[in-house]
Amino acid sequence: MSLSRRSFTLAGAAAAVLPAQSLLAAPARADGTVTVSVPEIDLAGPRVATVPITVRNGGARQLRDLSVTFTGPVGWVVEPELVRLKGSLAAGATATASFELLVPEPRPGLRLITFTATASYAGGDGAGQATGSRTVRLGDPLPDLAAAYNNVGVTDESNPAPGNYDGDGNSFSAQKLADVGIVPGGPVLALGARLIWPDVAPGSRNNVACGSQAIALSGSGSRLVFLGSGVGNSAVGTAEVFYTDGSSSRGTFGFPNWSFQNVTDFGATQIAAANGRNLPGGYGNEGIAYSVFAHSVPLTAGKTAEVVVLPGNGGIHVFALAIAP
Amino acid sequence: MPETPGVSRRAVLGGTLATGAVAALGASAGTARAAGTSAPGRAPGQQTMVNVPFDVYPTVRIGVIGLGNRGSGMTDSWAAVPGAVVRAVCDIRPDRAKNKADALERAGRPRPLEFGGSRESYQEMLRRDDIDLVYIASPWEFHFEHGHTALLSGKHVLVELPIATELSQLWDLVDASERNRRHLMLSENCSYGRNELAMLKMAHDGVFGEITNGHGGYLHDLRALLFDVNYYTDSWRRLWHTRSTASFYPMHGLAPIAAAMDINRGDRMVTLSATASAPKGLADYRARFMPDDHPSWGETYINGDRITCMIETADGRLIRAEHDVSSARPYSRINSLAGSRGLFEDYAGGGATGARVYVEPLHSGDAFQDFTQLRDEYDHWLWKKIGDDAEHNGGHGGMDWVLQWRIIQLMRTGQVPDFDVYDSAAWCSPVPLSVMSLADKGRPVQMPDFTRGRWSGVRLGLDSRESEMPPVG
Repeated sequence: MSLSRRSFTLAGAAAAVLPAQSLLAAPARADGTVTVSVPEIDLAGPRVATVPITVRNGGARQLRDLSVTFTGPVGWVVEPELVRLKGSLAAGATATASFELLVPEPRPGLRLITFTATASYAGGDGAGQATGSRTVRLGDPLPDLAAAYNNVGVTDESNPAPGNYDGDGNSFSAQKLADVGIVPGGPVLALGARLIWPDVAPGSRNNVACGSQAIALSGSGSRLVFLGSGVGNSAVGTAEVFYTDGSSSRGTFGFPNWSFQNVTDFGATQIAAANGRNLPGGYGNEGIAYSVFAHSVPLTAGKTAEVVVLPGNGGIHVFALAIAP
Repeated sequence: MPETPGVSRRAVLGGTLATGAVAALGASAGTARAAGTSAPGRAPGQQTMVNVPFDVYPTVRIGVIGLGNRGSGMTDSWAAVPGAVVRAVCDIRPDRAKNKADALERAGRPRPLEFGGSRESYQEMLRRDDIDLVYIASPWEFHFEHGHTALLSGKHVLVELPIATELSQLWDLVDASERNRRHLMLSENCSYGRNELAMLKMAHDGVFGEITNGHGGYLHDLRALLFDVNYYTDSWRRLWHTRSTASFYPMHGLAPIAAAMDINRGDRMVTLSATASAPKGLADYRARFMPDDHPSWGETYINGDRITCMIETADGRLIRAEHDVSSARPYSRINSLAGSRGLFEDYAGGGATGARVYVEPLHSGDAFQDFTQLRDEYDHWLWKKIGDDAEHNGGHGGMDWVLQWRIIQLMRTGQVPDFDVYDSAAWCSPVPLSVMSLADKGRPVQMPDFTRGRWSGVRLGLDSRESEMPPVG
């Protein structure tokens, strides 16, 4: 039987209790450690998946007081929260604790989903705790940055209404950006890379407020260059690049606020500064600079980049990215 | 958690209820605690209806009870759902049944049988064996009687809000559903709202992080309709405001929040405490707009204009359910959900959806964002599939049509209903529970577990898998 974590909380009784002895698989040779295994999970939701977590006592001693937890991404529904197994687990034996997982409908784009199971126990290998995890790569990355555009960052001075770069309805002025050489579809050279400013009309979505979107890449080089600027004062985060050989690398970058922070904060490089900006009612703040910056993360030499997962920080706005040789 | 007083589930919601409940609490608090917190036992052989699918009905034959404003309009759209036939219509006023039968026939539908003329006419209709689903849109005070009798007659039942107004009745409906192996569901169209369903899917995908609180309600200025001598037959709805202080109708806001919190699917509502403002709105409206000969003069309105129910769940979440139909105000069901990583707020104005959202890491700078893009991303398959039809066929922004289409689809394909008698009873239980809490100065009262322990298992509900409506003929 398996009681829910809420029943456990309410009743103050035991959590889910399973008889470990009855779940023993054929004893195998002890190899020194307790291991926890998370199985493959069908993620074609919405569906309820039963997830059997296997604990193997590779320690030399009998394992007792075993309890197991299982979690998925934050907010995903798992029941019960904890399974407590009765009895003891001989050296080399295995036990299984089952959980129910509500798998949501997959979203478009690539996601890396990690499931983690933790066993707490006495005896066994003496460590007291063992953890197993499984990371699943689900879906495909968005084909390019344009597919992830979710913000209108540039508007025409004659029609600023669609703009909302900063959450307050303000945006870059297309005219003032053009004055400093930034035009739709035009090249921007930065940090050794040749980037292309979004080729969309003012008033259209043309940048990505980062939210861990996965974007397809193709090519090799020394660094991945991002063009953008920050909203708020903490537009910094970590991007992860995946390569065709299955490996990955991570790098942190950040942009200063588009206006009020030091233009070298977070190690960024100022690329252009527009004079003033568009407010919801029209052009304004003349005399104040609103900047576009470049920053980069290193790439692993000799490898071909396949995907970049943008930072999980919506304050980072990216207009373009490119690989620098 | 504060100590909660026990209350008898046999406490009733009636004309003298407020003071009666106080007396009952004072007299029997010691023994009422167990009665209020524990579920009554099942009869031998009686089993749960959790996860019980419908039998497959190639055609769903519908009987309608109540042909007032709501029932009449819904009957037209029932007849339009593929694979549904309105087999019979019933109203205490026989002319309404005849007029509806005439209208359906003129529209090219099969002419339904007519029942009416007495308060018992519906019983004759329910004795027929060619009706699969009974839709009930009578005044509130008849919902239990009609729904319970329909279950006993072996029909599946869809009841307008609320399914019953007393705890004992809610339990009786649960028992009748289990014993007769038929589903009874609240006709909660708002559970199928486009924003509500997208919010639910976002919750399941962890967009809000761990859900901690939600807010819903029914804030609808009904004053003009309540005093209209024709709109609510015999002014039944206004008269409820003379009988009791209660949250009569919080379900439209509560049900979507409960769904997003997986109530009865991993969590459950455990306590409710209620507050009520003074009753001012109806008397003020009458004084300003009603002629001297209006039948409402002489009535005393005792229901507070704003009834607030604060509900705690077993998992430590908080729900606020509001009710106000007697104040001057724009419409809102509030419909807000929040968690550790952000929140959603409906009825916030702006954008095509009327909603706003703020979720990390997508958003930053403490600035709400328009909901449109996320709603597109999390749009429920029902709206993608039949949203265009819904906007042309159904009332309330298409929610009615989605509800009706889905109920018929579930029955024709033999699926488990998206919500069941347990959900329906839980969503309606604030009606009597608010009375009990208010009668005890707002102290928390226990909320029953209508599932009798089956609330904690994970199961699909409104966040369902896409499926097809079988072809007709």
